[in-house]
Amino acid sequence: MLQNKRLSFLSESILHGKKFFSGVYADVKAWAFPYNGTHENREGGSIVSNTPEKAANNYIGKTSIRVDAYDKATGKGLFASDYYKFIPDLLHVKILRSPVAHCRITKLDLSKAEAMPGVARIFTAERSPFHMERLPESVRFPVNNECIWAGQPIAIVAAETVELAEDAVDAIVLEYEQLPHILDVHEALDPNPKSVIDPASGHGDGVVDASNPWAGIGRLDVVKSKFSGEGTSPNIVGNYVLDKGNVDEAFKKADIIVEREFCTGRRSHTHLELATAICTYNSDDSITMYGSGCGIHGVIKSAIVNIFEVPETKVRTIQPYLGGSFGGRLTPYAEVLCAMISLFLKRSCAYQYTRKEQFTGAPAAWPVYSRVKFGATKDGRVIAQDYDCVEEIGAIQNNVSYTGRLSSSGAVCVYDIDNIHMDTAATVTNIMPVGPFRGLGCPESEFGMECMMNELADELGISPVEIRVKNFIKNGGEDGYGERITSIGVEKCLRACAEKIEIDKPSEQDGSVWKRGKGCAVGGKQNTPLGRAEAIVRYYSDASVEVLISCDENGMGASTVMAQIAATVLELPIEKIKVIKGDSILTPFDNYSASSRTTYTTGNAVKIAAEEVKDKLQEAAAREVGVHKSKVEIHGDKAAILGSDIQELELSELFKSTSPYAQGNWGLMRFSPVEGHGVFCPAPIRSWGHDGLTKRMWNWFQYAAAAVEIAVNEETGQIKLLRVACSADTGNPINPKMVEGQIEGGVIMAASYVTQEEEIYDKNGALLNTGLSDYRVADTLASPRIADFHSFINPDPLPDGPFGAKGMAESITIPFPPAIAEAIYQAVGVRPTYFPMTAERILKLIQEKKAKEAAAK
Amino acid sequence: MVMKFEKYFRPETLEQALELLKEYGSDCKVIAGGTDVVIRLKAHALRVRAIVDISAIPELKQVTVGADQAVIGASRDLMSISRDPALRGSQWQIVAECAGHVSSTQIRNCATMGGNNCNASPSADMTPGLLISDAVVNAVGPKGKRDIPIEEFFVGPGKTVLEQGELVTSFTLPAQGEHCAAAYHKHAIRGDTDISIVCVGVRIGLDQDGTVNKARVALGAVAPTAIRVHAVEDLLVGKKLTDEVIEQAARLAEQSVKPISDQRASAEYRKEMVYVNVRNMIREAAAKIG
Amino acid sequence: MSVLDNKIIVSFEVNGRQTELLTAPNRTVLEVLRENLGLTGVKHGCDDSNCGVCTIIMDGKAVKSCAMLIGQAQGTKITTIEGLETENGLHPLQKAFIEHFAIQCGYCTPGMILSAKALLDENPNAAEDEIREALHGNICRCTGYKKIVEAIEAARDEMNGKA
Repeated sequence: MLQNKRLSFLSESILHGKKFFSGVYADVKAWAFPYNGTHENREGGSIVSNTPEKAANNYIGKTSIRVDAYDKATGKGLFASDYYKFIPDLLHVKILRSPVAHCRITKLDLSKAEAMPGVARIFTAERSPFHMERLPESVRFPVNNECIWAGQPIAIVAAETVELAEDAVDAIVLEYEQLPHILDVHEALDPNPKSVIDPASGHGDGVVDASNPWAGIGRLDVVKSKFSGEGTSPNIVGNYVLDKGNVDEAFKKADIIVEREFCTGRRSHTHLELATAICTYNSDDSITMYGSGCGIHGVIKSAIVNIFEVPETKVRTIQPYLGGSFGGRLTPYAEVLCAMISLFLKRSCAYQYTRKEQFTGAPAAWPVYSRVKFGATKDGRVIAQDYDCVEEIGAIQNNVSYTGRLSSSGAVCVYDIDNIHMDTAATVTNIMPVGPFRGLGCPESEFGMECMMNELADELGISPVEIRVKNFIKNGGEDGYGERITSIGVEKCLRACAEKIEIDKPSEQDGSVWKRGKGCAVGGKQNTPLGRAEAIVRYYSDASVEVLISCDENGMGASTVMAQIAATVLELPIEKIKVIKGDSILTPFDNYSASSRTTYTTGNAVKIAAEEVKDKLQEAAAREVGVHKSKVEIHGDKAAILGSDIQELELSELFKSTSPYAQGNWGLMRFSPVEGHGVFCPAPIRSWGHDGLTKRMWNWFQYAAAAVEIAVNEETGQIKLLRVACSADTGNPINPKMVEGQIEGGVIMAASYVTQEEEIYDKNGALLNTGLSDYRVADTLASPRIADFHSFINPDPLPDGPFGAKGMAESITIPFPPAIAEAIYQAVGVRPTYFPMTAERILKLIQEKKAKEAAAK
Repeated sequence: MVMKFEKYFRPETLEQALELLKEYGSDCKVIAGGTDVVIRLKAHALRVRAIVDISAIPELKQVTVGADQAVIGASRDLMSISRDPALRGSQWQIVAECAGHVSSTQIRNCATMGGNNCNASPSADMTPGLLISDAVVNAVGPKGKRDIPIEEFFVGPGKTVLEQGELVTSFTLPAQGEHCAAAYHKHAIRGDTDISIVCVGVRIGLDQDGTVNKARVALGAVAPTAIRVHAVEDLLVGKKLTDEVIEQAARLAEQSVKPISDQRASAEYRKEMVYVNVRNMIREAAAKIG
Repeated sequence: MSVLDNKIIVSFEVNGRQTELLTAPNRTVLEVLRENLGLTGVKHGCDDSNCGVCTIIMDGKAVKSCAMLIGQAQGTKITTIEGLETENGLHPLQKAFIEHFAIQCGYCTPGMILSAKALLDENPNAAEDEIREALHGNICRCTGYKKIVEAIEAARDEMNGKA
């Protein structure tokens, strides 16, 4: 996609008759205001730059206008479903889904539906010519006629119109016998469960990659765990144990021990754009996919090539603008189904999920059950941590990814604790298979950790800030796995937030039913080493530059960051940079944007590619002048030569003209750019021993803190956000305004899912709130007023990040839930242990407390 | 999903509308703003052959506010009702207030007085306001005109006493008496965007000495239709509004309802919210009398 | 030759241009704007009028085009996001959304801008709380709303000549 095509137009239209516009397209110095100058950051932040200050066109830590903003502000930017209008003769897809959580199909009569004119084909488990077990979980047909989650596809109809496809689904006769189902973690852990979700038949189909170090399944036998010994539930499908120091001995030495269980509900990504795939079938038997999914190479193309065994050259994947992801688009579904239909029927086809299907037929986050036990000395030093957690992963068969290790990674990356025991597991249930969601289980798992840290502070009478500072891992120290931490700005983050909300000063009460309280918390989130990112940078004779990348732009601003990095390395004005992204036949390999890796991984690749361009230009200039390359420096569109009487050279002079008589066999030429190719791949993890320890489990960690003041209505349980301060350690922020946007967006998303969002099921295990009316995503009224909503950036530069930057968008969601929980405690004296902390749950806790107090009297 | 109706009519007179209703009988649905019906048509929760859009009939859009009665046309949009200067500050101000709590700006700009009530949603925001105002539903049909007290209008979720071919033209609000005021609260998590967990309307009239001479208590979202709680009203009339009386009334309201548990709230929570909000609204209404 | 008695002819104005079309009546305004008129700046995000991405301005008021039959558009004047930019440049709201980083994924942006425009056209001095109230029918999952409200305030001030 040529996402920058409107840039020049923008500068004209936007500047027309206006005295200023802080746009990139005009006077660079006028708009690129320094990051330190923003109001909030003067109060709470500080920045360290490792870029030479004198360099021209340094865009690091500056606020560049988003390269996609014009397209999105005018409605001209195309999202996947906007391509319908360009592609004629599409087949349309609709799905008959299991209406209950667990059933055996006794009758599936397609005859009437199939006889309808215009119905091209109906796919079912029996009538699909592909390796169905390779399909992603959320679109996999039932095995042996046994549906294991409500929403599981039973029959997929392709027809000439949407209406016909819907009518055909209605005409299918489905009869089934309901079977017992399991909807929560406690039922799943029962040694004699009502339902066994993944009978042994599900294993061993050759899909499990034995070399995959994530795979937990093989470890079940060897890991000594309370979750997976003899006589435990067959629904436990993976686990992980970590042992560091001697926890039992440490607890004996502790002055105080606190312990509590926590659990969370299931939350949905609810990105606003519905999942959409449009697949054209081309005359050479190739397909072109316009999809709203992430990972054009690493997810979508990879899935299509591997599942359907088509040549790599026959699949072209194109990513238009994406309407949010939050992890929800990392598992492919609509694209895979459209590819299946196109390849089989040799027709173009399209499928857009309905909002109801988005809730019932696409992955949501996994709930986490956890138990946290801390032993501490009376001065607040935590010396023992006993931590269990269970990920509830839905109806996943052949689990290779989940062991509890992802969620629990948050429990060992913030505090320096000598003695840790962790026992984690994953269980399956009869609910739609889960997928990654911003934070990868850490908002859930760290909820308990942070709540207990607050409780410990309250019990010991220590400030919640000081007790944390006393226990934080220091830069250069080790985390729970034994990894060295190279960037940790969590203390600065916490102090900035706590100071803003005056956390040590109790809230003033106004005598009403709205009781006020304050709370704070922190969070850490690992970056998973998720393989390779590549970038191509092309420098043309007129110093205009193309940056070709395939990372996802879910909305977080990756394209703009890449333009800033390229402009900074090449020392060129940013309007010279054109970002071309998301077309698998044009743009180089990148896995996908997950685990906040894009700035780090793709950013490094862009930096390397731009440096290679510089290197080649250096070489060319050196040859032209006749000096060694070490005597040449490239600055923007000029070369500075040392030790020659030619001191400066316009790089444009190195490029031959395009006259056929002047082109020649060698040398640079106009229209034939100097190209640099960057490849960046973090080292893979190292397998851990039986103690679960390793020197490399993750890449690096991002940190965040939040402090809040809220009001709780003691009669209704409702919560109002009065004041919010939140801060992220981003490494050096490339674009502070975009970082602020991630902070604010992450905080309100967390506020929303920790107080009012939850998927609720009926007695048949079918989702009840399948729309945005009853799945309550925060609206404008939930966001604090501007004057009460503070965001700070407190960077600790990451040594191997591009210009010291690292990712940040996940950790910001972690501290908010426990900060709210503590504020509730301060306001009304109850400790919530379940999130979402809905009004109803809070009121129940208040009533229980009152009943207890009444009984005591 | 693709809507299944075949015909769309937009009559410009009441006579034309009634003719269409007669022709299509039970196979048609009336819309004015359409905000609720269109959603149900798309979900295939409603399947009819014809849609009769009454929004182009001028007389159904009228609002007249007099000294002893107000009449609000069925196809009047809720945004303009919520801001109507004549209604605001009148004895029927509560009706304007209720209109301001229906969903979002965009929906209020389209949704109408008639639609919000004729959908017979137990949680409709307008209905408690009408119930505590003793409103009368003015309908017209093959058998002529009919005035239906609002309390008798609803039969169950989505069901009213309207007969085939009948159409609601307007709502009449009678005089409310001296020293009388009303209050409404929508108990919802996000605010107006949500469908109410409980909604409560209360109207209180007081004698000079503070004795209650009129009480109306209406609840939404706790029964198959919006309801009036007569037991509570009877308890209040003739008494002075002491904290004790208000407490008693609110507890009685709580005990009088048998709500269901659903995705929005449990029955227990709804009952507790009935108590809290009936108590608060009695206080608020009384305070408004001043 | 088919019989057209179930089809309706609807005429209305979109972005200053008179449009007349023959259509089956069982379609929403949203579907017609996107599919017949190619105005894909109007988005589709839910099926029950809760997300607000389909917001358009009809006769000066913000409405949700997904909850409206095409027949209801008869005789109206519609503005979509495509109608905001003129030869004089972007609308102040569009500029403010760009400059204040009120845009992330951009899917809610057209609806947000149009809701804000309807508000400011009617109430040029809308204060922060009025902006929030007018926009709570528009969901944004990315920004947390702060920068959206800031952008609208900035546009308001510019439109009032205070910037």
